[in-house]
Amino acid sequence: MVVLSYLFYVLVFPGLLFSTIVGLILSGIDRKVVARMQKRIGPPIIQPFYDFFKLLGKETIVPRTASRKTFLYAPVIGLLALVTVALFIPMFKFTAISTVADIIVIIYLLTIPAVALIIGGAASGSPYAGVGISREMVAIISYELPLVIVLLTIGKKVGMALNNGAITFSLSQIVNYQAQYGPMITKWSLIPAAIALLLIIPIKVGSVPFDIAEAETEICEGPLVEYSGVPLAIFKLNHAIKMFIMTSLFVTLFLSGKGTGILIVDILLQVILSAIVVIVSISTLKAITARLKVEQVLKFFWTYPTALALLSLILVWMGF
Amino acid sequence: MLKELIAKSFEKSPWLFHLNTGSCNGCDIEIVSVITPRYDAERMGFKLTGTPRHADIVLVTGPITSQSKDRLIRTLAQVPDPKVVVAIGSCPRSTNVFNGSYSVEGPLDKYVPIDVSVAGCPPKPEAIIDGLAKAIEILKEKRRAMK
Repeated sequence: MVVLSYLFYVLVFPGLLFSTIVGLILSGIDRKVVARMQKRIGPPIIQPFYDFFKLLGKETIVPRTASRKTFLYAPVIGLLALVTVALFIPMFKFTAISTVADIIVIIYLLTIPAVALIIGGAASGSPYAGVGISREMVAIISYELPLVIVLLTIGKKVGMALNNGAITFSLSQIVNYQAQYGPMITKWSLIPAAIALLLIIPIKVGSVPFDIAEAETEICEGPLVEYSGVPLAIFKLNHAIKMFIMTSLFVTLFLSGKGTGILIVDILLQVILSAIVVIVSISTLKAITARLKVEQVLKFFWTYPTALALLSLILVWMGF
Repeated sequence: MLKELIAKSFEKSPWLFHLNTGSCNGCDIEIVSVITPRYDAERMGFKLTGTPRHADIVLVTGPITSQSKDRLIRTLAQVPDPKVVVAIGSCPRSTNVFNGSYSVEGPLDKYVPIDVSVAGCPPKPEAIIDGLAKAIEILKEKRRAMK
């Protein structure tokens, strides 16, 4: 029975099927909203589903210079890591797997899709992919620092109230805190951290102002340049699921709380709040900005989001 | 079930790759205008991709200069099946005003079979969208022939 319920968790509910569907719908909403902001009609909301199924029907070409196995397995590794992260993120009261230190697990697992992109690009043997992976590494270096500081800030804030001042790394404890004291976004000392996380979401999913690694007009989609057919479909799926996971993480960290007590309503609420976060942080930025240069991205993330996150951390440490 | 979904998706999500073989840039601008807010081809699922590996429909502009001939053949060989070649403008179909030039080796159908040819110098965006709609039909046919 335990095995069956875990299988259900992994394959259906917070895992593969659910995060696939929600992720693809969220990226459809993103494309539609960007189109409406540019006064276009835009593709239908289920357009990412069409893209995904079309790519399944295309021929898969493996270049002669590529190392075949690494090239084909890299997207699957990324997908597995993302599905695992989906199990750890609580939706109000519901969690599939709850541990003492799931934030640390999430930080590590969220790095794996980016690493899978780097491995796949390196295995394809294309010079464009080479440029792309070096840029992806710059992106990782730039967002990891503010992301970790934001998570530390929240852990400290929750730990001060529930854990006698010791930092907590448990997401379910963070949700408990918000159920007792109201959503984290209402604490004024944490608003800078929330803004920093809103700026980290676009670079994590690789969307426009920060999509230096997959700049399709400069370096032909970077690490994805040689991918076609099924592996490309899985990479596009990774991208969509990453969008859901990052926004869902934001909702859990800042907008969570008691919920309504009914599981389905809670899940719907989580998805709707995630969609709102997608519109605020990804679509708006995508519609109003152009791509930054590589060194501008590094400079930007090590100044403004890091400073905002540090400000929050200091305020929380001082007891506000 | 999955086969039907895939067949349906092929008409809903054709990705374009734009290949310039020595064009005067007129047709290229018209192709870009197809994805502007006024014509918005993205509502039909068209998307410009950066690499031939992701493409379903290849838009060729220009009269095939000697410099671009080998690149054209190599690029078209890199597109995964099923693929459709669309010639945009009069240059790829007849080399247009560049006919007889020492550096022009067109027309395009000497090297690859053309599926759809959109005439005009440059063609109107409406004509390009019409040609793309015909290209989708051919893409579906080719997908059916593959299985």
